Amino acid sequence: MAASLQRLTSAGRSLLQRQLVKTRYVNRLPVGPRRLLATPAAHHVVLNVPETKVTTLENGLRVASEDSGLTTCTVGLWIDAGSRYENERNNGTAHFLEHMAFKGTRKRSQLDLELEIENIGAHLNAYTSREQTVYYAKAFSKDLPRAVEILADIIQNSTLGEAEIERERGVILREMQEVETNLQEVVFDYLHATAYQSTALGRTILGPTENIKTINRGDLVEYITTHYKGPRIVLAAAGGVCHQELISLAKYHFGRLPSRDQGGAPALPPCHFTGSEIRVRDDKMPLAHIAIAVEAVGWSHPDTLPLMVANTLIGNWDRSFGGGVNLSSKLAQMACQGNLCHSFQSFNTCYTDTGLWGLYMVCEPGTINDMMHFTQMEWMSLCTSVTESEVARAKNLLKTNMLLHLDGSTPICEDIGRQMLCYSRRIPLHELEARIDAIDAHTIKEVCTKYIYNRAPAIAAVGPIEQLPDYNQIRSGMFWMRS
Amino acid sequence: MATHMSRCRTWSRLERFGIAAYRKYSSGGGYPNVHLSTPLPGIPKPVFASVDGQEKYETKITTLENGLKVASQNKFGQFCTVGVLINSGSRHEAKYPSGISHFLEKLAFSSTAQYGSKDEILLTLEKHGGICDCQTSRDTTMYAVSAEVKGLETVVSLLSDAVLQPRLLDEEVEMTRMAVRFELEDLNMRPDPEPLLTEMIHAAAYRGNTVGLPRFCPADNVDKIDKKVLHGYLCNYYCPERMVLAGVGVEHEQLLECARKYLLDAKPVWGASRPDNVDLSVAQYTGGIVKMEKDMSDVSLGPTPIPELTHIMIGLESCSFLEEDFIPFAVLNMMMGGGGSFSAGGPGKGMFTRLYLNVLNRHHWMYNATSYHHSYEDSGLLCIHASADPRQVREMVEIITREFIQMGGSAGEMELERAKTQLKSMLMMNLESRPVIFEDVGRQVLATGKRKLPHELCDLISSVTASDIKRVTTKMLRSKPAVAALGDLTELPTYEHIQAALSSKDGRLPRIYRLFR
Repeated sequence: MAASLQRLTSAGRSLLQRQLVKTRYVNRLPVGPRRLLATPAAHHVVLNVPETKVTTLENGLRVASEDSGLTTCTVGLWIDAGSRYENERNNGTAHFLEHMAFKGTRKRSQLDLELEIENIGAHLNAYTSREQTVYYAKAFSKDLPRAVEILADIIQNSTLGEAEIERERGVILREMQEVETNLQEVVFDYLHATAYQSTALGRTILGPTENIKTINRGDLVEYITTHYKGPRIVLAAAGGVCHQELISLAKYHFGRLPSRDQGGAPALPPCHFTGSEIRVRDDKMPLAHIAIAVEAVGWSHPDTLPLMVANTLIGNWDRSFGGGVNLSSKLAQMACQGNLCHSFQSFNTCYTDTGLWGLYMVCEPGTINDMMHFTQMEWMSLCTSVTESEVARAKNLLKTNMLLHLDGSTPICEDIGRQMLCYSRRIPLHELEARIDAIDAHTIKEVCTKYIYNRAPAIAAVGPIEQLPDYNQIRSGMFWMRS
Repeated sequence: MATHMSRCRTWSRLERFGIAAYRKYSSGGGYPNVHLSTPLPGIPKPVFASVDGQEKYETKITTLENGLKVASQNKFGQFCTVGVLINSGSRHEAKYPSGISHFLEKLAFSSTAQYGSKDEILLTLEKHGGICDCQTSRDTTMYAVSAEVKGLETVVSLLSDAVLQPRLLDEEVEMTRMAVRFELEDLNMRPDPEPLLTEMIHAAAYRGNTVGLPRFCPADNVDKIDKKVLHGYLCNYYCPERMVLAGVGVEHEQLLECARKYLLDAKPVWGASRPDNVDLSVAQYTGGIVKMEKDMSDVSLGPTPIPELTHIMIGLESCSFLEEDFIPFAVLNMMMGGGGSFSAGGPGKGMFTRLYLNVLNRHHWMYNATSYHHSYEDSGLLCIHASADPRQVREMVEIITREFIQMGGSAGEMELERAKTQLKSMLMMNLESRPVIFEDVGRQVLATGKRKLPHELCDLISSVTASDIKRVTTKMLRSKPAVAALGDLTELPTYEHIQAALSSKDGRLPRIYRLFR
């Protein structure tokens, strides 16, 4: 009783999730429903999960939901639009728009909106990534109609008042400061800036200060009319939701959204990967924060799953775990025994047609060289000598992490929304499982060799990084001399 | 890859909507080269489960002959969360060096009688798609596993082993010392002072007793704790009468059968239990102040500075979670709400709670004002955390003491209804997640032997009135304040002044008349 009634039940929430530390950048796994071994012989498999029902409206908007009969639900809009569609001048618009969404519509003032949400015990939230914009609400299931109506209102009828826009500039600049105190975010922004230099993925989501100060109502309106169209929007829901009800709500509230784009959707700007580096040396900082990555593949590429297994093989570690957590990772064991770093995380960040596969580490200045050396050594052994038993273990772990993450209406709803945008479907669990099962050591070696071996990495490093080897030395650690 | 990537770019739109290229691996390996947007050919058709109506599962509880309670709750899905909760935490360490629970948390799931190493345990769990975790708090230790339901028997056997048969090898204890030291270091380095303040306010509120004892191992004790000390503690507290085996997503009969098999006659490695030596002290609320002068002018870990802040936390005694007043206190806590002056999240984060409306929205120089409620089996603490520039500490303290006094005024109908709805929605949303249900079932059964179901709690919340809030606040305001202060404390009013403010009518600090202020 006490546990669930006290505000911020952090203990309960993090229970059993501690090892699955995820951030905005560390790749979210594309997850299907719960686990069941698929038997190839059978024509049917029974899954103890509700079906994800998908319906496409006339204007192309897709409605996808999974009903688990809870008394609460999550419902949201997943929109195929993010900072990648911006150019140098309007970079930051998608994010600015997300901020303006809660600032009042033609039907309700900002205060009305806030009061309405708070009074029904609901939550309204939004986030922008490089390729997606998401608005979602959590509410009691009985309030689902109201939640959908509010979501429809904020994306179609926002007033985008001049006064509110002016006020929001300050808020976003303040948010920027806040982001800058989070070094992981800073390092990943740098990593994108160097890996995708002079392309859209290289820019930040918030945009440069100058843009935040100059983006105007016209930019926001243009962004909406270009991108917020039926075929590029998914209305996803999970928890206690009835699909039929959701469809009629969607028809009523989103039926008037424009359908097919005139002349097709705006082209996805190409984003070329460049092996390169960015170093921001600051000896006053206590720890060095370093990310190193190679170019991997997009969301739906067949090699994504083997790369995720490779990711699991490298693993995550934090020194307060102590010895012997994450023992499936050799790098974790080395980091622990040699006191090589404070923490590291393996990541695989996917975009539509490209991705970054690599490692983020936080080290004391004196251990950078060793940590980098052992990281690259592990990468090389993935390409050359990873064993069947290691791969089998990583596959198991990957499946477990994916499945256990799908707990509660919000993670499930997020999974539905993202998969609908990335794959145009929700991959059934047994299929995902079959795909992972088909991976063996040979696949890992082949795929890793393709993307990691002898590839030029992108590196971003901040802090006391004098000891970080020069680029050519790191580059020469990307292959082994073999006779 | 270059050619492949460029092709991807041209075709990316098409590929996303389902036209996938088929390409055979030259090796003839088994991995299918089918895009994830295309269904894998030859996959069997799934038959999905469907939900008929809302979940109406009840919690079943059985007490075994040795005193161990078994509690279960069914839930839709392929996974279960099962674990052992023990009435043991830092509050029980009075006769021992503080930090034992912290050690046990870090040592959990290391080698046992059956399993040679943590690695073996993890491997066994991985076969059932499972993971394990141990968490301790001031009053409870939880060993929990989430895994596929069909692995239940293995899971219970493993839990029994992990709880009752740990080997506590020297190298494991040594490794734990290091991990504890690292955690203490991180705790002091982290810009977020909340864990430290919580520790301090407990020490102030319950001076030297029960929940006031340190939750984190004091640095001086790290080397004192070894296998002998741990065994001495374990034989008092890890006995079946103080344990609950809780399971969510399992059939009660099955769980009971496993409990009989693995936990009924299990002999702990430290020999017979001696529950006679158990510390039965009841929490003594003392009130008081704990200060930590610390240079917070440069807490940022990076090049972007974080403004220098002084943090204070002021608390008063609320009540135990066993008392009826617990629910009004929970509503009051929700009504106070608050958060950071700059926090992520849209509407729903408590924008109309009092600490937002009366404090953060009016005094823009304040960085944070958040209400917390800690409740235990015999006492509780309602506190407010606030932070601001060191030069404005006095003003900040007065704003908070005035908020405490105003809690005793009458709550508006609107704000009360809102707080009740938000408390109910928070409860139900937290309970969407299986590990949270597990913790809720386990803790309730451990403390009371039964479980109040979510809808019963919702009914209790619905029936809270403004006069309940007034009544509990009036009682609370009679207690002596507990104060924790961290940072530059030059401007901090004395404890006596804070106490005077909290017993005044308007919450104002006594005026000081000095010629040269």
